[in-house]
Amino acid sequence: MTAPLLEVRDLMMHFPVRGGVFRRAVDTCKAVDGVSLTIAPGETLGLVGESGCGKSTLGRCIVRLLAPTTGKILFEGADLAPLSRRALKPLRRQLQMVFQDPVESLNVRHTVGQTLEEPLIIHGLGDAAARRARVRELLAQVGLPAGAEDRYPFEFSGGQRQRIGIARAIALHPKLVICDEPVSALDVSIQSQVLNLMLDLQRQLGLSFLFIAHNLAVVKHVSDRVAIMYLGRIVELAGADDIYARPRHPYTRALLAAIPVPDPRRRRPPAPLAGDVPSPIHPPPGCPFHPRCPHATEKCRTDVPFLRNVAVAGSSTSHTIACHYDL
Amino acid sequence: MHFTPQTLRQLRRFRHLRRGWWSFLALTALTVLALVGELVVNNRALVVRYQGQWHFPTYGAQLTGNAFGLGYDYEPDYRELQRQFRTAGSGDFVLLPPVPYSPNEIDVPAGAKPTRPPGWESRHYLGTDTIGRDILARLFYGFRVALVVSLSFLTGTYLLGIALGCAMGWFGGWFDLAMQRIIEAWSNLPFLLIVMIISAALRPTQPVLITVFIAFSWMAMTYYMRTGVYREKAREYVAAAEVLGASPARIIFRHILPNLLSTLITFVPFTIAGAIELLTALDFLGFGIPPPTPSWGELLRQGTQNLNAPWIVTSAFGALVLVLLLVSFVGEAIREAFDPKKFTYYQ
Repeated sequence: MTAPLLEVRDLMMHFPVRGGVFRRAVDTCKAVDGVSLTIAPGETLGLVGESGCGKSTLGRCIVRLLAPTTGKILFEGADLAPLSRRALKPLRRQLQMVFQDPVESLNVRHTVGQTLEEPLIIHGLGDAAARRARVRELLAQVGLPAGAEDRYPFEFSGGQRQRIGIARAIALHPKLVICDEPVSALDVSIQSQVLNLMLDLQRQLGLSFLFIAHNLAVVKHVSDRVAIMYLGRIVELAGADDIYARPRHPYTRALLAAIPVPDPRRRRPPAPLAGDVPSPIHPPPGCPFHPRCPHATEKCRTDVPFLRNVAVAGSSTSHTIACHYDL
Repeated sequence: MHFTPQTLRQLRRFRHLRRGWWSFLALTALTVLALVGELVVNNRALVVRYQGQWHFPTYGAQLTGNAFGLGYDYEPDYRELQRQFRTAGSGDFVLLPPVPYSPNEIDVPAGAKPTRPPGWESRHYLGTDTIGRDILARLFYGFRVALVVSLSFLTGTYLLGIALGCAMGWFGGWFDLAMQRIIEAWSNLPFLLIVMIISAALRPTQPVLITVFIAFSWMAMTYYMRTGVYREKAREYVAAAEVLGASPARIIFRHILPNLLSTLITFVPFTIAGAIELLTALDFLGFGIPPPTPSWGELLRQGTQNLNAPWIVTSAFGALVLVLLLVSFVGEAIREAFDPKKFTYYQ
């Protein structure tokens, strides 16, 4: 296996919960609680989980919008976690992000041209003419009309706006793009167009993606491997085909069972998951999933399960789950 | 100047608010008039034609009586000169500004009282004050002083308020907390008392007075900027800029401040009105800009002390009400036009 482009090791992001007169930290919210993963060059890792499981927080830690509490973020071997804003700046060219909501993530007061030119200005790339040429090239790459550069974000549809966001992310020729639910805010009819654009760009530019989503069908379409997150931890990580064909963790099974099937005659058992995600401020002891797990035993209530390989013997790829049992 | 469509829509809306738009035009006209005040209110002639030669005494070196064959080397009284040329009827003439008096010029004809009512004949269209100075001229130049003071005040309070407010919002935490407490303490200093002490201790020139005004008035703007920066920096477009590697200065000046423009513009007219009121009040109490600088507050005081010459207080009061009303109308229209609730991008 080639050296990973990104390796996250035991990443924790704990937010203080402040209270009282002096705003002391009275508790911590363990949004990301010990996550390890790798992304190889050119690979797409899907990251799936319910709202509030910490998947966006993980993405924001990797691009260092947040400073992680502990853990390492090794990008091409260099640890991003302790770096200052200034030390990070040159590395940011390699590591970009596409945001969920293209309305919010574009400055309404900048034209598309200004928005796309900004990364080039920040990193001092090219003179004004070269930058303008690059902006035009980017617009063509993401399938926007050439006249778009003088227009403002509100003049575009949701899908087009997300194309602007994607163009901004690839402007600096990054190696890794964190995609934080890039199509969740779009109409279903537009989603596939934007996804295909991203896949095309990945092939052309050799990008790696960390693709964060809560829609398993979307993730299946784009990912090489998929990680399932629950309450700040990864509970299952395997090849995309593998995880859909042979889910091993009870949580993954519940998620897959919840995918609607476009067949009116087919009757599925009702979703086996009961209850809500517990609060990450007071996560349950033992396996974080045990209060909702149909197979929970006494051991699950006390012992934390760690990721272990459960791949079929002779398989070339790994399949890890965080569960005490082989169900 | 490059406007975003959002700003253009706000400006269009502002133009459609009739009262505010006309007030804005009237105020602009008054301001332009004040800028070229020497052409409108002045005791030096605009044009003098004397023995085939043209003179333009308004701007330029001071001319002496010798230039017009009057046989003395101090400045001629152009009103008198005009009368002489008219009676001589030799083709020489003097063209005076519409109001041929200077604000500090005392015009008391022999045998007349210094305080004279308005009159067309005397060309004191609003009368004279208690020592014989033309009230219209003093109002006019008083307006210019008020403009200079209020615009400097605006610039100063905005610069200080924006800089500190942005820093508080951006850094947050202990810095914000400490600054808030300092600002609260500073806001509670009795401003009027301090100005009185300063005025009593040293002769307050215009720059000193403006500095004191600013020093005690920048606090309000920090609150708006602080909350604005807090709000904007939590938004996704700021995160996007940060991921690109933008510096804090770039984020604040290129991203956050343009998005807070509505707040800044909305407060401009009210700040100006506040400054004019403040200056007038201090001048009224005698702690403002020292005489003989023309000032509305000083005219108001004269007027209230000499109610037997009602034209003084009427003129000063009328001018003050007119200007403040115009500024308030403009402010009201701007507030309406730039109302973020009307132009929101949150759906």
